[in-house]
Amino acid sequence: MRRSSPILGRFRYGYVAPAALLVAGLLYAPFVWTAYLSLTRYDGLAPPEWAGLANFGKLFDDPALLTSLRNTLLWVVGTMVLPVGLGLLVAVLSYDIKGGAWYRVPFMLPYALSGAGLALVWSPILSHGGIANVLLGVDTAFLQSAPVNTLAMLLVWTWQQLGVNTLLFVVGLQSIPKEPIEAARLDGASGWRLFRHITWPLMRPLTAVVVGLALVASLKTFDIVWVLTQGGPGRNSETLAVTMYKETFVASDYGYGSAVAVMLTVVTGLASYLYLKRQVAS
Amino acid sequence: MIRRAVLVVLGLVWLYPTYLLLVNAARPAASYDPATAWAPSGDFALFANFAAALDKADLGSSLASTALYSVVSPLLGVVIGAMAGYTIVVLRLRHGFWWFLLIFGGTVFPSQMLLVPLFVGYSDAGLYDTRAGMLLVYTAVNVPLAAFVLRNFYSGVAFSIFEAARMDGASTFRIFWRVYLPISTSALAAVFILEFTFIWNDLLFGLTLTTTESVRPVMTALAGLMTDVYAGTPVPVGLAAGLMCSLPTVLLFLATQRLFARGLSLGSV
Repeated sequence: MRRSSPILGRFRYGYVAPAALLVAGLLYAPFVWTAYLSLTRYDGLAPPEWAGLANFGKLFDDPALLTSLRNTLLWVVGTMVLPVGLGLLVAVLSYDIKGGAWYRVPFMLPYALSGAGLALVWSPILSHGGIANVLLGVDTAFLQSAPVNTLAMLLVWTWQQLGVNTLLFVVGLQSIPKEPIEAARLDGASGWRLFRHITWPLMRPLTAVVVGLALVASLKTFDIVWVLTQGGPGRNSETLAVTMYKETFVASDYGYGSAVAVMLTVVTGLASYLYLKRQVAS
Repeated sequence: MIRRAVLVVLGLVWLYPTYLLLVNAARPAASYDPATAWAPSGDFALFANFAAALDKADLGSSLASTALYSVVSPLLGVVIGAMAGYTIVVLRLRHGFWWFLLIFGGTVFPSQMLLVPLFVGYSDAGLYDTRAGMLLVYTAVNVPLAAFVLRNFYSGVAFSIFEAARMDGASTFRIFWRVYLPISTSALAAVFILEFTFIWNDLLFGLTLTTTESVRPVMTALAGLMTDVYAGTPVPVGLAAGLMCSLPTVLLFLATQRLFARGLSLGSV
């Protein structure tokens, strides 16, 4: 059929216009504007003043930013090891045993709580003199010194996220073909060797998705840190996303805050690109 | 056997904080003490604590706002996204693939790249701290995923359906509204559920673009409660507030588990 056929109507652009306008006006335009602001000095009141790469120069000798980068890295690595790694373990242990779904219930319950709610309910446990101090019989202030505070928040995050990662892995494990596994069993493979050489390669595509999602999400960690510590005390538990917010809306340094946002975007984009490239290559 | 043992031990570790949370959210507000927090209280005050949270923290109006945002924005978002998918695939829009790429490309930016211009722009346009402004930004954020999913869905629908309806004299909009939208209900619902949850749980846009309690979404209001947990709001009330505000997403999740799992895999594309 020809594209200009009257059957297709004359209003075709009208249907795409609302979507295009919303996306252009509320997503693309702000994106470009932030990129521009990162090259200016701007306090939100006086008009932005061109500053070249000054904000980016400042990024590289700002000790707070270094801390923020280190914490973000800790979040990324920690997320891979704990919610993702443990999630895989629970999935592998439970996917083919009788009543496996029941064993997974305890891990699914915390998924009910979300970012701010999650942090809110953990604060009486983690605060100094709180429930964890009483139960463990130690006087550690879990949310005070770095990197203990980031690790404590990572455990809270693990408590919440494990279930959903497990669920995704279970779906993947249950959908892999049975024949290669049966054949390997007949050849005498079992336990770790069976998993390492047969099951793991078969579930590779799904693992790639779960890890990719966790990677991007962990780079942008904000909610839990903002609610539990606001990036403090001082600035020792800030992540890049928290630093961006504080520089912009607490310190009113919009130009520098925009530069941090650009950096977060570049880091996220680069990590996604390298990750995807590796996935495609292998 | 070892597998079951590991699962049970790990499961108990996971249940313990859940237990602490429930026991203390149900404890009378005045009787909370970290030293005895592990033991259940004789009195069941969960509903009293819910009421106190609604009342004291003014969570009621935040809940109403969030309910509005997380129902209306995804509805608008899926219809607008579906319209784009319809015209790209069915009406064979010229350069349709580029239009699609333009719209779907909107998902790649971290929200942090949007905050400053939205804050400044909203202040200038009188949208700062208004429900209309929040609906607008949440709708825009929904559109790319909806367009992506519905474009894929409509690619699988036979063109003869459209032709037949045209021969009967129906307008292109009527065909969209009466034929294409209804046949894609399952895809629309999956996107809706995903976006409902995203908006319900949003903290960042609420933090940046609102300030009064009646406009502020509920997660932002909860975060604001944090500074008071020790200096005013009793711990059981804070815990009850956290639970209460999570209930709608839990109920939606339980009611639509299958669709939700599908939604998760949609989001992973």
